[in-house]
Amino acid sequence: MADPIARSPIAPLPPLVLRDGWEVSERRSTADLTLADLTPMPKLLVRGIGALRVPFGRAERDGTTLVIGSGPGEWLALGGHPRLEAGGELVSVVDLTHGRALLRLSGAGAGSVLAKLCAIDLSERTTPDGAAFRSSVAKLVTDVVRDDCAGTRSYLLHCERSSGQYLFDALLDAGAEFGIEPTGADLR
Amino acid sequence: MSTKPPPATHRLGPQLGEVIDRTRPLRFTWDGAPHEGYAGDTIASALAAGGVRTFSRSFKYHRPRGILTASFHDPGCIVQAGDEPNVRAAHRRVEAGASVTPQNVWPSLRFDVRSANRAVSRFLPPGFYYKTFMKPERLWPTYQKVLKRFASGGRVSATAAIGYFDKRYAHPEVLVAGGGPAGMAAAVAAAEAGASVMLVEEEYDLGGHLRWGGAEELAFLAELRAAVAAQPGIEVLTNSAVTGRYDDNWVAVLQRGLPQHRERLIKARVGTLIVAPGLIERPYVFEGNDTPGVMLSTAVRRLIKLYAVRPGERAVVLSANADGDAAAADLERAGVQVAEVVDARRGGDVVRVRGSRSVAEVELGDGTKVACDLVVMAVGWTAPTGLLNMAGDRPAYRPEAARFLPGESLAPNVLAAGGLAGDGSLDQLVEHARAVGRRAATGEGAVPDLEVHAHPALFRGRTHGMVDLSEDISSKDIVAAAREGYDSVELVKRYTTVTMGPAQGKLETVNAVAVLAEATGRSIQATGTTVWRPPHVPITLGALAGRMFEPVRHSPMQSWHEAHGAVPLVAGQWIRPDRYGDPGAEVRNVRERVGIIDVTPLGKLDLRGPDVPKLLNQLYVNKWSKLEVGAVRYGVMCAEDGVVLDDGVTGHLGPDHYLMSTTSSGAATVWEWVESWLQTERREWRVHVTPVTTAYASINVAGPNSRELLGRLSDDVDLSSEAFPYMRVRTGSIAGVGSCFMWRIGFTGELSYEIHVPAAYGLHVWEALLDQGADLGAAPFGVEAQRIMRLEKGHAIVGQDTDGLTQGYGAALDWLIKLDKDDFAGKTELAWQHERGGYPMLVGLHPTDGSVVPDEASQIVDARNHIVGRITSSRWSPTLGRSVCLGFVARHLTEPGTVVTVQLPDGRRITAAVTPELASFDPEGVRLRG
Amino acid sequence: MILVPCPHCGPRNVSEFRHVGEATARPDPASATPAQWRAYLYLRRNPAGWTTETWYHRAGCRAFFGAERHTVTNQFRRSWSGGEVSPLAGTPAELGGGVDASTAEGAPEP
Repeated sequence: MADPIARSPIAPLPPLVLRDGWEVSERRSTADLTLADLTPMPKLLVRGIGALRVPFGRAERDGTTLVIGSGPGEWLALGGHPRLEAGGELVSVVDLTHGRALLRLSGAGAGSVLAKLCAIDLSERTTPDGAAFRSSVAKLVTDVVRDDCAGTRSYLLHCERSSGQYLFDALLDAGAEFGIEPTGADLR
Repeated sequence: MSTKPPPATHRLGPQLGEVIDRTRPLRFTWDGAPHEGYAGDTIASALAAGGVRTFSRSFKYHRPRGILTASFHDPGCIVQAGDEPNVRAAHRRVEAGASVTPQNVWPSLRFDVRSANRAVSRFLPPGFYYKTFMKPERLWPTYQKVLKRFASGGRVSATAAIGYFDKRYAHPEVLVAGGGPAGMAAAVAAAEAGASVMLVEEEYDLGGHLRWGGAEELAFLAELRAAVAAQPGIEVLTNSAVTGRYDDNWVAVLQRGLPQHRERLIKARVGTLIVAPGLIERPYVFEGNDTPGVMLSTAVRRLIKLYAVRPGERAVVLSANADGDAAAADLERAGVQVAEVVDARRGGDVVRVRGSRSVAEVELGDGTKVACDLVVMAVGWTAPTGLLNMAGDRPAYRPEAARFLPGESLAPNVLAAGGLAGDGSLDQLVEHARAVGRRAATGEGAVPDLEVHAHPALFRGRTHGMVDLSEDISSKDIVAAAREGYDSVELVKRYTTVTMGPAQGKLETVNAVAVLAEATGRSIQATGTTVWRPPHVPITLGALAGRMFEPVRHSPMQSWHEAHGAVPLVAGQWIRPDRYGDPGAEVRNVRERVGIIDVTPLGKLDLRGPDVPKLLNQLYVNKWSKLEVGAVRYGVMCAEDGVVLDDGVTGHLGPDHYLMSTTSSGAATVWEWVESWLQTERREWRVHVTPVTTAYASINVAGPNSRELLGRLSDDVDLSSEAFPYMRVRTGSIAGVGSCFMWRIGFTGELSYEIHVPAAYGLHVWEALLDQGADLGAAPFGVEAQRIMRLEKGHAIVGQDTDGLTQGYGAALDWLIKLDKDDFAGKTELAWQHERGGYPMLVGLHPTDGSVVPDEASQIVDARNHIVGRITSSRWSPTLGRSVCLGFVARHLTEPGTVVTVQLPDGRRITAAVTPELASFDPEGVRLRG
Repeated sequence: MILVPCPHCGPRNVSEFRHVGEATARPDPASATPAQWRAYLYLRRNPAGWTTETWYHRAGCRAFFGAERHTVTNQFRRSWSGGEVSPLAGTPAELGGGVDASTAEGAPEP
């Protein structure tokens, strides 16, 4: 029997390569505005009042793990295991690595692209670097985190897995006028 | 037909503020003939430069129409440009190579047969559509064919490519609607005070009425434009319009003429809206006022100053204000012979205009008749208060100014500036606008009051003329409507259709109100106006539709289904495989060998916490406290009215860890239902719910060979019937993929395992099953085959075999409902239903003639032709070689063996018998318990 | 498109929410009469004025919360989640039997 291959809901653009058991795209775009599929990244949903310190609506790094305050008493940890606070309340951890599609939209024009699909105010005042919110993006309930990279505007977007391709396509369509290009993911 | 464009007989020498670029001539065609203009010309100005006077025929009477306002709203200048209908020729810039044609003409613009309507206009009074062409009804198809010929408007192409209609959201702290001097000043002041500003202007350039002013005004305009350009915080949108203001300052802006997109709709949540649309000049009502050559003073000044077009040879000007006087001066400078300036302030008046195709002569109030080809009106201004009205304000009529002004109930986040707000010198209005801009940005600062200057009240002269040039409604029509009893402004509007044309009342409302007031002996204030509703300007359906977002959901095996010819079934947002070939063959393969079906859309909720059993007991009708780890149970949920809500199996995976499955269409509803209990009624329960519907790819492996097949792929789970009996759940690895779980349930009635695999590995496991199971006959089956098999087993589908009124006992669930539980959702109603009895019930039905498959929803009738039930599910069973059904029948008919009558949709009646069990095949469930 | 003030997320477009309905209290199932139960299911005060109701932030934080809204003007004056008054406040005794005069506090003319 062949070794299991893990696949993202977003069809990877050639050239394809297998990395850590996942079939991913090796394409590297040099465009100013890019969209990457980060679905293979480990994702954990942590529930429980006071389980983590990151406040609702913010995202903070704990080592290499990005902890997102995605709801009241709810956090999503991307990339690793967060350190939980000791507490008396019920705490549960559910692995959603497979349950969410994850994308990164990067470039100076990233805000303009998102503003075509999402009615949330993306200005510096309301949604600064590190802000996290959940709303409707192209009519799909999506979590968004502003996570600038080296001073360049960047957003992480994640939605329930089966709509991943739809969200990816909607972002490429919205970004077409700004010259957006899909790119392979650097999953570090 | 000549191939050379006509000479530009009416083009003037260079004007100070002209917008045409004489170094860039362009050619286009009009009504099939070549014409020439310059870059910057509008279609109408380019044509007028060549002497064209008639641009269209009117809606009802097909009267020739020419330039009236020379602006976006010009009712006579609506043309077809290529594939695009209803183009505003006096606004749209001419494009090289464009093929422009008139609308509403037959056979041609010059000679329109339908202008014969004029002769029968007596029989076409307002509201004629309610009175004529009504009887006899059998002639309606004929009337329709005739009326189609007379329908106005352009042609929509069935083959032209659909443009890209874009959409965008914005959050400007200040939005200024109107880019004239007041709008620009307000925008600059707001941006200087630190606000983010969006400035929206209908024309291609900022400036408003300054653009056709004198040298001083043009110099001031240059200053204002420079100030706007120097401000980084102002986003300027020209050739754009604010189409509506909705609740909480939700404002729609239509942006046109973008390079990559046909139109873009911007949905803006605005902090403060500043409405600065300026004033719109109002036509005067008199006989012949719609004849080509009758123009507003602003039309004349636009033509001369912006486009260097001479509007005529010999003019008579009716002036009631300074703008009229300025127009007369501009005409003289342009070489037009101004035969007479009739001063309305001193009682001068125009009685009628004569001329069939174009103005030939005008009769004045003192009786003199003057030969001319141009009549210019400057009788007053209308305040376009539409956006203010949409914000809840009621405009107030000021008789001394002869116009409406903003009322008292403006919301604090909607402000008015410029001529809309009052009168004054240009400096005063700009100062006022700056104060408004500052206030909009900061919430502070006093805004000076503006004066309101007197202006003569001139609406209708001494004769009757056109009030609404788009709808062909004359003042006589309004008077007639009032006489017929339609004497309120709302009724008159709807009965005559006045103000319902493309300008939506901007040119017509005040005159209509004035005529109605006169006819009913009331004041204009008392008569009031109709309600302004969005859109403020016409908007294409494409712009409203935008990109049409419709989320689609795919299972991880979707690409395999497509590649193997699956017929897609759209189920909500999911695309599912309905069948791969013959569903009957798929059924046989499952019952005889083994089949696999992709059931990923099945709802799955991960439940954790010590109080999960309490939750299950509260939401399901049956009992859950004693479900051991590793066990699975079927449950049904009812709503608080006892109506069946959803069903599924729930398994106890580990300590404080359960997995609940729901129907695929009910997944979202049940999740919300569960959350509503945990967040409101039972906040003290410690339960966490996480939807994992798409975190797992779900595959049902069903058939006598299923154990063998699964055994080949699973090393760490003992699949023997002793170790893994029916209604149990196990976790392990499948095809090398860990963290899978599988449970033995039996929707199809065969030995089967529903396996749930981490979704990224779904395709791998699917392909492994088919690969490893080839010799066992493993083949995919689709939703249709599954439907057939579950029907053979009598399994009800919630929403198909139950409806919005089916309470639990009616769905034949008495074996499941435990009324001895303390409390559960729907218990009270179920208990009462049980007490009452007499409810219709779900039963199995076999048509007497097994070869007939009744349509689903066929009614079941009794001897007196009363409906006593209906067929809810119906299929041909390949397993039994006959049709099988489920349906509802009245209580007295539920005894097994009872024969009922089914009425098919085509009227035929057949009989069917109630079966002893719901299941027609293997009612004991021997096959799935093996 | 009105703004609904979610107590967690702040004001958001109404399209993100599901309006659950006027606040009701679930009667004790053990002692409720059919009339009381049906009043809980189907009867609402439905005033032209301030009302207490439940909203669900479907496309946002997914919280159920309570709010006070003026049904004529769509102004909101309070919203709350957990901790304070239960969003299902309001007892069946207030429903049915006698028409409550509308408390059009500060409401502009319709």
